[in-house]
Amino acid sequence: MSAAGSLALAASGSLGALASGAVSAAAHPAASAVWLVGEGADWGFVLRNADYLAGGALLTVGLTAASILLGFLVGFPAGAVEVYGGGLPKRLVGGAGVVLRGTPIVVILLVMYFVIGVPQVNLGVASISPAVSAGILGLGLRSAAYQSQIFRATLASVDDGQLEAGRSVGLSRFEAIRYVVVPQALRRSIPGFQNEFTIVLKDTSIVFAIGLAELLTRGADLFTQRTTAVLEVILFISAIYFVLTFATNRALDYLGTRYAIPEGESV
Amino acid sequence: MAGATRPQTVAERAADAEASAGRILLVAAGALFWGWLVVSWVNRWLGGPLVPVGDPLVSPAAVEAALGAVPVLAAVAADAAFVIELTPVLAQGTWLTVVITGVSLVCGFVIAVPLAVARVYGRFSAWLSLGYTELLRGTPLLAQLFVLYYGLNLASYVPGALSGVFARDVVWVAILGFTLNGAAYQAEYIRGAVESVDEGQITAGRAIGLSKVESIYHVVLPQALRYAIPSWTNEFVYLIKYSSLAGFITVPELYYRADQVATDTFRYTAIFLVLGVMYLALVLTASKVMERVDASVAIPGLGADRDR
Amino acid sequence: MSDADAFLRVTDVSKWYGDEQVLEDVSFEMDRGDVTVLIGPSGSGKSTMLRCVNRLAEAQEGSITLDGEEVLSPDTDVDELRREVGMVFQSFNLFAHLTATGNVALGPRRVLGLSEDGARDRAAAQLERVGLGDQLDSYPAELSGGQQQRVGIARALAMEPKLMLFDEPTSALDPELIGEVLEVMRGLVDEGMTMLVVTHEMSFARAVADEIVFLDDGRVVERGPPEQLFERPEKERTGRFLERIASHD
Repeated sequence: MSAAGSLALAASGSLGALASGAVSAAAHPAASAVWLVGEGADWGFVLRNADYLAGGALLTVGLTAASILLGFLVGFPAGAVEVYGGGLPKRLVGGAGVVLRGTPIVVILLVMYFVIGVPQVNLGVASISPAVSAGILGLGLRSAAYQSQIFRATLASVDDGQLEAGRSVGLSRFEAIRYVVVPQALRRSIPGFQNEFTIVLKDTSIVFAIGLAELLTRGADLFTQRTTAVLEVILFISAIYFVLTFATNRALDYLGTRYAIPEGESV
Repeated sequence: MAGATRPQTVAERAADAEASAGRILLVAAGALFWGWLVVSWVNRWLGGPLVPVGDPLVSPAAVEAALGAVPVLAAVAADAAFVIELTPVLAQGTWLTVVITGVSLVCGFVIAVPLAVARVYGRFSAWLSLGYTELLRGTPLLAQLFVLYYGLNLASYVPGALSGVFARDVVWVAILGFTLNGAAYQAEYIRGAVESVDEGQITAGRAIGLSKVESIYHVVLPQALRYAIPSWTNEFVYLIKYSSLAGFITVPELYYRADQVATDTFRYTAIFLVLGVMYLALVLTASKVMERVDASVAIPGLGADRDR
Repeated sequence: MSDADAFLRVTDVSKWYGDEQVLEDVSFEMDRGDVTVLIGPSGSGKSTMLRCVNRLAEAQEGSITLDGEEVLSPDTDVDELRREVGMVFQSFNLFAHLTATGNVALGPRRVLGLSEDGARDRAAAQLERVGLGDQLDSYPAELSGGQQQRVGIARALAMEPKLMLFDEPTSALDPELIGEVLEVMRGLVDEGMTMLVVTHEMSFARAVADEIVFLDDGRVVERGPPEQLFERPEKERTGRFLERIASHD
């Protein structure tokens, strides 16, 4: 947030740059024909800093992976509790879910960072800064709340007869859920999971609020340095996000067909 | 709920009583929340007939004194007084949050319906619609807001007719961003619903002499939009929460104002927790209202066999 | 039968789905007030033939004239054509979001441009005509299959069509509900409505048809008045088909 004020000032320069870009396009048609938008020199600036942005993209990917993983580890049991549990655990899980799903991610991140005050985590080889662990915790727990809904729906969608059939061959209730219901439910969860994956990926940009140097934050750093290149920088990082979400979606599509149950229900 | 005729067990009756007590509590909290908001807004618009503009509706000092007198609550008395002091700022920010969400949702819907119809029934326009939704759904909303605000500097280009409606023109940039983004998401939900309408419905429309467009308008959309309500509610809820991102482009909505106070006072815990509760209240209201809407436009047999 | 001014004249109509020919040189004609019944095994092209008449399916070759106008011409206003030709579907296709009245009133209101009240009055009258005067405000899901199909008939009648197409109107119904629909159709025959009907109800066909057209494999195998076709079929294939149907009845 603190960046916002100075960025506002920076923004005023960018449209002038666009206009002058049009002028210079007329003067140097060969140089600027390559870029539909913006000015060649500013695109050059973006490309010179591509390494810096790539580092941010790497952090974005890492943040996404860690948050999804945390979300799965917490969200799957939570979904199971909502379907098979009862009493206090079910109500606690349900209540936590409502709170996490009803609060903007930026507020969750700020609470993690400022209120809970996640400490620096030292792993020996590398240390995770408080901002990173707050980011993972915030995105991960919020994702867990959504993943629990996905798993709750798919677990509930598996026919009751499956559980009965499992019990009838002598499995305990837990075993029947574990070996009969869960494998079917997980496969059905892939479409919902796909959606959740891209949401987390895109929402990593909001850790900007706690100053974590992922892709969007680094982009903002860059265009604060060179205010004429605002549009170029943002379009470039948007393209990276788009490639990441697109690739993720296609990969999960593949996973979906790869593990689809033949003649499966078209849920 | 199908087996409602079965006699209830004692445990179920107890649970029911508890649930209805919870419901009453929830309704009371909702009435308090919205009552406070509406009174605060009206007080501000009318120039402060109840309390001076910018002052809380009840005196923080009085609250602190009252709570301080109760032994158990004495510990939180100071915090409570601080929150009361915040209320005018929060109410002001919430107004903008509500307006931005409402206007963007409606404008996004107006764009989303043709997008969805084009996607299902169009040829060239189907590709155009697909490209639009993929692009908008494939990039972060925050990056889109940055493009509009920092990249294109649109706040300087707000048309005269719109300029001045809000204290700051940047509000329009946020509304534009949420409209364009929300349209893409809404279009996806509506598309799914349009596709689920039986094809025979259009055939029957064509058979009585309606054109294709008329069949879509009079026959398909009235059904599809009803099917879309539950998933559309999700989008409504998302938009309430993501409207907080407008704060990043300096729109003084709820989150922005709370964040500013937090930066000034360093009282993060109280502020962010209250902020979370505020959004939660808005979100819960929206989903309850949409449940009502869904029930009030329900048609026997329509969508009954769809599990959503 | 082949007088020059036939009301509906189908001449050498052919249609393909991709490489597969579904209609091959189909010809027949009917006069105003006639009832013609298309019979034949499933997949014989009867429904497709029916749909070519109001161009819900497009014939690729041949000619169909209705009241002297060429239906297949690219200049034909398809919406206008459908306004004049009523259709009743096998699967009813009632508008699921509208009441019985709403279903019947939609065409008069939006296509014929009647006032809201005028359309409702007309709908009520048509629903009365099919014996559903007491179900005006019911939604499709609240009606039995037979009632739904009668709403479907009323919906088509409300456009005051000069020709009615029936595409297996009773095939989706439970046996005990078929009678009420056939009864309504008989009433229309008595009123002199021109009807082209695809059905498997042979006793109905026999009782009301002026002409039976037997289609197989997209071709007209045989056609003629019901007495002739049912009692003394000329083609062996016709006889075999009728025997098989009879044994199922």
